[in-house]
Amino acid sequence: MSAEVLLTVRDLSVHTGDTPLVTGVDLTVARGATLGVVGESGSGKSLTCRSLLGILPPGLRNGDDTTITFDGTDLRALDARGWLGIRGTRIGAVFQDPASYLNPSITVGRQLAEVLRVRVGLGRRAARDRAVELLADMGLHEPARVYRQYPFELSGGMLQRVLIAVAICAEPDLLIADEATTALDVTVQAEVLDLLSDLQERTGLALILVSHDLAVVAQVCEEVVVMRDGVVVERGTAGDVLTAPAHAYTRSLVDAHARYGIERFRPAVTVHG
Amino acid sequence: MLRPLFASRSGTISAVVLVVVAVLAAVGPWLAPHDPLLQDPRAILAGPSAGHWLGTDNVGRDVLSRLLAGSTLSLVAALEAVAVGLVLGVVPALLSVRLGRVFEWFSLRLMEAFVTLPFLVFAVAMTALLGNGLQQAMLAVGILISPGFYRVTRAAALPVATAQYVEAAVLAGASPWTVLHRHVWPKVVPAVAVATASLLGASLVIVSSLTFLGIGITPPTPTWGGMLATDLQYLFQRPFGPFVPAALIVATVWACNGIADALRDAPGRPAPRKVTAHVG
Amino acid sequence: MADPLLAVSGLVVRLGRGGERRTILHGVDLTVAPGESVGLIGETGSGKTTLARTVLGLHRVEQGGIDVAGTDVTALRGARLRAFRRSGAVQYVFQDPLRSLDPDLTLGESVGEALHVRGTPDLDDRVAGAFALVGLDPALATRLPAEVSGGQRQRAAIARAMIARPRLLICDEPVSALDAATRVQVLDLLASLCADRGIGLLYISHDLGSVAGITDRLAVLHHGDVVETGTTEQVVTAPSHPYTRLLIGSAPTIGGGGMGRAERAELRAQLAHSPNGKVLT
Repeated sequence: MSAEVLLTVRDLSVHTGDTPLVTGVDLTVARGATLGVVGESGSGKSLTCRSLLGILPPGLRNGDDTTITFDGTDLRALDARGWLGIRGTRIGAVFQDPASYLNPSITVGRQLAEVLRVRVGLGRRAARDRAVELLADMGLHEPARVYRQYPFELSGGMLQRVLIAVAICAEPDLLIADEATTALDVTVQAEVLDLLSDLQERTGLALILVSHDLAVVAQVCEEVVVMRDGVVVERGTAGDVLTAPAHAYTRSLVDAHARYGIERFRPAVTVHG
Repeated sequence: MLRPLFASRSGTISAVVLVVVAVLAAVGPWLAPHDPLLQDPRAILAGPSAGHWLGTDNVGRDVLSRLLAGSTLSLVAALEAVAVGLVLGVVPALLSVRLGRVFEWFSLRLMEAFVTLPFLVFAVAMTALLGNGLQQAMLAVGILISPGFYRVTRAAALPVATAQYVEAAVLAGASPWTVLHRHVWPKVVPAVAVATASLLGASLVIVSSLTFLGIGITPPTPTWGGMLATDLQYLFQRPFGPFVPAALIVATVWACNGIADALRDAPGRPAPRKVTAHVG
Repeated sequence: MADPLLAVSGLVVRLGRGGERRTILHGVDLTVAPGESVGLIGETGSGKTTLARTVLGLHRVEQGGIDVAGTDVTALRGARLRAFRRSGAVQYVFQDPLRSLDPDLTLGESVGEALHVRGTPDLDDRVAGAFALVGLDPALATRLPAEVSGGQRQRAAIARAMIARPRLLICDEPVSALDAATRVQVLDLLASLCADRGIGLLYISHDLGSVAGITDRLAVLHHGDVVETGTTEQVVTAPSHPYTRLLIGSAPTIGGGGMGRAERAELRAQLAHSPNGKVLT
């Protein structure tokens, strides 16, 4: 895999008034790579993601020293028009609660087709055909039927697949999945994680996977960043972070799995490798 | 409970106005300079004078004395109507969320029926049936405003009744009564307080309009609404006549609404819950 | 296991009304012995919460029996059910303490609720005792739920259950609303409370990550059927039913060791071809 850098974040900070919520976050993502970000609610992981998408909540802003460079473009310098060419087209995103991102009174297929017409510029007929094709690509059975269904008729896992289709339909270079599998059942989560890996293989998409669950991140990502209280407390390859956690917080996460998770009965995968 | 009233200026002014009105109602009859029923044939429809500060009416009665004496009856009547409405609205509303589907269905249908009653026809029918009098008229008004209390209370109680903490209390062995007064009632009180204040204003208007029509309180007993009615008949002879009783009614209603708004917007209170449609 | 604390046998529960009526549990068997910790695992729609609520007398039993500490709870109604609840023999810990604690009552009032409804005299002392038991500062008794941390709230919810001196404790996803660091502390607390007092624990979760360490036995619920039971070690290391294998194979673990994708797809296909997940293995 080439080491061409896609995204560089330097000294990212987020403030509300004079209070810093996130400070000094550095991230580098190569084209086609996966980066895992682990942290609890309030660790600053979601604010970091939102900074990359230029969608910080009102009242919050990035610090002056923050630089975010995406494929040669300085994202901090973009205006609203400039973001249109990036957000949703070159950087896609999926979040935790899929149902809240879909209009309940429009079929999911029409919503996907609408995005295809606006973002990709397809005609009405072509958008419809492409939407069904994408739904099939997401592993949804009977895609033509799903196309005609309303959000309430679909399960959480199916809705998340639809939203992943929406996020990647413009063939972005980077997909941000912020707790995208948290609300799903374990077996469904595994399927969605498989889907994300598949997409990566097929399209060369880079992935930032954000989760509170260290194991989820470890399963998918090569590189892991652990955040706590707005700072990065640990970073490294997934193997290093899991087998030799340096920070007390990371150790407690690994320890929790070792004591209460099914790892307890799998001495073959001990923490100290 | 009363502190949120004074958080806003309009709330404070409303409270002051209402206190003044209440004092008037309490001691008004004793403040009256003349007998409110005493007719003076020599001074009919007289203008303001040293003897009659606000003039006299069509049969020569002192207007100020009648206003003061009428304040008690006007307010007591409105309070009576609200009390009837409270009991008929709040109690079934609380029971409807705890007593099961059958009661819920019947209480909902009954309240819907009350809402559809044509107001004046119902009041006339009630007084025709039970005899014309204040109590009968206020019973009618109370019944007519009870759906307002019912809806507000039920809307506030419904989410509480299905809340997990209520289930936790039931699992601890709490009786329906304990659940009601420990968990449901405290959540309902703010909504009921707001409804009481605004419906008090509404029923004052209703009482006035009923006496205006001769239902409830009959002449020569003075009330604000009754005075407004006669004053309007003699508008040409005494153009400023209707102004004073009308101003008193408007000020009291305004103060009630002001208090309702202040209670509703008080800081620290949850925003008024949306009324959820519920078909049994 | 002479006298199980909880014995559920052939339990059938139907929920909903009229044409919407669906069978949620199809003849479930489950036991919990005194001092034993049993995990009930299953995903959305498996019926695990319905099972817990039925044991607590919140749903009507269509068929089968539920015996809690020698009492047939399926026969209890009205005042007798209330009396049984006041005995405190079974206590329930909800998933999210922010919803299960009344936002307008102090933690002390909520914790003392079971004693309050029974009219126990030394209420304050026992509330303080319950706070100490779960590692909460008794000074927090005057705080409202919104004024303390998530971990403290769930400790208060556990104190509310413990104050009734239960013999059986049912916990429904008690740590899934908590941050990772707090989870372990609450799990440690639950494990030691039950072990010290010989309380039977029925621990309900969809998350194997927290079940394996706190349970002696597991029962796997799938579409209203218990498809597999066994010691936790047995079920985790050598699952026999395809659904259990899929569930264990799908659980993300540290250091990998999960099931390959092809194998999972095959299991899924196998499950899809059998109604109600009843697979002949």
